[in-house]
Amino acid sequence: MLALQLAITGLQTGAIYALTAVGFSLIFGSTRIFHFSHGATFIIAAYLFYFVDVSGYGVIPAILAAASGAIVFGLLMYRFIYVPIQRDEGSFFTVFVASFGIGIVVQNVIGMVFGRGYVAVQTSLSKSVELAEGLYVAPLAWIAVLCATVFFAALWYFLRFSTTGMALRALSDNPELVRVFGLNPKFISACAFAIGSLLVVPAAIISGATQGLNPAMGHHVMLISLAATIVGGIGSVPGTLIAGLVLGLAESLALLYVESQWTEAVTFAILFLFILLRPSGLLGRSATH
Amino acid sequence: MKSIFAFVGKVSLTACLGFSAMGSALAADQTIGALFPLSGPNAVYGDVFMAGSDLAVEHVNADNLLNGKLSIAYEDSQGLPQPAVIGMTKLVNVTNVPYTLSAFTGVSKAISTIGQRNSVVAVNGGGVGPDLAQLGEYFWNVIPLVNLEVRAAVPYLVKERDIKRIVLVYIDDPFGNSILEELESELEKAGGELIDTLSVPTTAQQFSGVAAKVRAAKADAVYVASYGAQQIQIVKQLRDNGVDSLLVTYSGYAVPDAIALPESEGMIFTGQSVDFTSEDPVTQRFVKDFTAKHNREPNAYNVNYYNATRLFALLAQALEAEGKDVTGENLLKKRLETPSFDLVGGTVSFQENGTLLFPIKINTLKAGKTETLKTVTFN
Repeated sequence: MLALQLAITGLQTGAIYALTAVGFSLIFGSTRIFHFSHGATFIIAAYLFYFVDVSGYGVIPAILAAASGAIVFGLLMYRFIYVPIQRDEGSFFTVFVASFGIGIVVQNVIGMVFGRGYVAVQTSLSKSVELAEGLYVAPLAWIAVLCATVFFAALWYFLRFSTTGMALRALSDNPELVRVFGLNPKFISACAFAIGSLLVVPAAIISGATQGLNPAMGHHVMLISLAATIVGGIGSVPGTLIAGLVLGLAESLALLYVESQWTEAVTFAILFLFILLRPSGLLGRSATH
Repeated sequence: MKSIFAFVGKVSLTACLGFSAMGSALAADQTIGALFPLSGPNAVYGDVFMAGSDLAVEHVNADNLLNGKLSIAYEDSQGLPQPAVIGMTKLVNVTNVPYTLSAFTGVSKAISTIGQRNSVVAVNGGGVGPDLAQLGEYFWNVIPLVNLEVRAAVPYLVKERDIKRIVLVYIDDPFGNSILEELESELEKAGGELIDTLSVPTTAQQFSGVAAKVRAAKADAVYVASYGAQQIQIVKQLRDNGVDSLLVTYSGYAVPDAIALPESEGMIFTGQSVDFTSEDPVTQRFVKDFTAKHNREPNAYNVNYYNATRLFALLAQALEAEGKDVTGENLLKKRLETPSFDLVGGTVSFQENGTLLFPIKINTLKAGKTETLKTVTFN
């Protein structure tokens, strides 16, 4: 029963990791911008949801506020940080430092506005229900899995069948070719930031409800996103999705075999194994030189 | 021409005298350092600590205890050793402080060597790891250490509450490991049993898997030994994931965010006992002004950092009266030759290992309020 319990817990964790990581992977895969402040998007969405909800406006306006805040932040980052850096042919390192710095600024601003302490989000959805003896599942676990399924189906449909979606995939392959076809790479990149930032919203809301909030939680989110992106294959959205689920399950099921302090290390052990044995990741394309 | 030279001469003389006077005024001002977590997951403690130390500065300056003004140079330790060492190095080499406030076991251990090497006193009012009593003569504790808290809690749980099977969830750092050792030893003495131990990494935020293992252990009580946001996350997630055993923890839980958490209801936590009803003027003034300023009762951390700051002022006042420089070395000598100090909670004395001894309270949380179940005194 403990194994089943840990598997369900792992599935919930994996769904959240996948939602967070796929957003990052979509942005990085399409634009080659190392959007380290993706973790800041997560914090903004989580705190906006909390603030609007506790202000008495209700859950739907809170979700809309979180989604709007995340998208606006993603677009502002692209337009006012990354575009100017790219215009001056800034290096990958410049982009990383700028993004990292913005992440710290956001963390401190959130701390000043909402306080630096721990914020508990109270909802009955985070309370587990005993389904069978020794098997407890919170409604949020099913919501996390459902959200991940719906969002990934929608993303798959969008990338596969819409013009912008196809352009996004094309942008990751060959930006010059996109330009030749008369499409605007900046607009397509902005779409990648908007969609990538939107994907983080359900993960931020669900994480806030299960774990509570503190302004520093973005760094951990970013580490997991990065690990899932590499394990899944850089630029591969389906690969990142699978990797997110695998890492969540591995982290939880590891409790059956190793001491609890090593569960997070399992995530990074998997990452190192992939770097050593399959650098292109689960579904990534092998690099050719 | 003569009058121009005379004017320039007067201006220069006035400027020199002015700068000289200003220089002596500045020399009399005293600055101490503080390494508090002001950002990151442990920032919840920063405001609590500062509320105590800032009030002490206000009182010291209002009473003109020192020849000049007292101020605190705050550095952000994040509750982590590495940023704390950077902050301590700056305080010692750039700000040139003789005395620093410290918090957290890992931070205190990391900075203690810098203090010892440079003869700068470091005073801890927040970290409770037992080995903080062995960090050298320049490291003092104005807080009882956690070994005393465990020694108070375990006999109470086992003998008075018949709680014998305990699971420990602890942070994987020096503090968490010291609680593990203390619990193992005390439970054995009291006739209890540590049936499982689950350590968690300092960065972990997701504990539903840990909760599943805790549930499976079917313990009478779960002892939670972490700090900052993580400690509150553990309690919330244990309760959310169906753990209904009694939750027990230590003084680190006495922060407003934790106490206000609905999942904290019924928890037992230990902490130093401070008699706020004491008639002594220092305690009365502290309680009155703190309550007026913060609209709530003070907690032990507020007291400790008030006391740590006031302790500096008392020692520096004595040194100034003797015409001696306020250096770390002189502060240490003065502390060793002073038998007792009037601090919040009464007149207290340091033990040989540089730690203040306080009785330990065993508290429970009821409807967001702390209720004392028992007070244990140690000799």
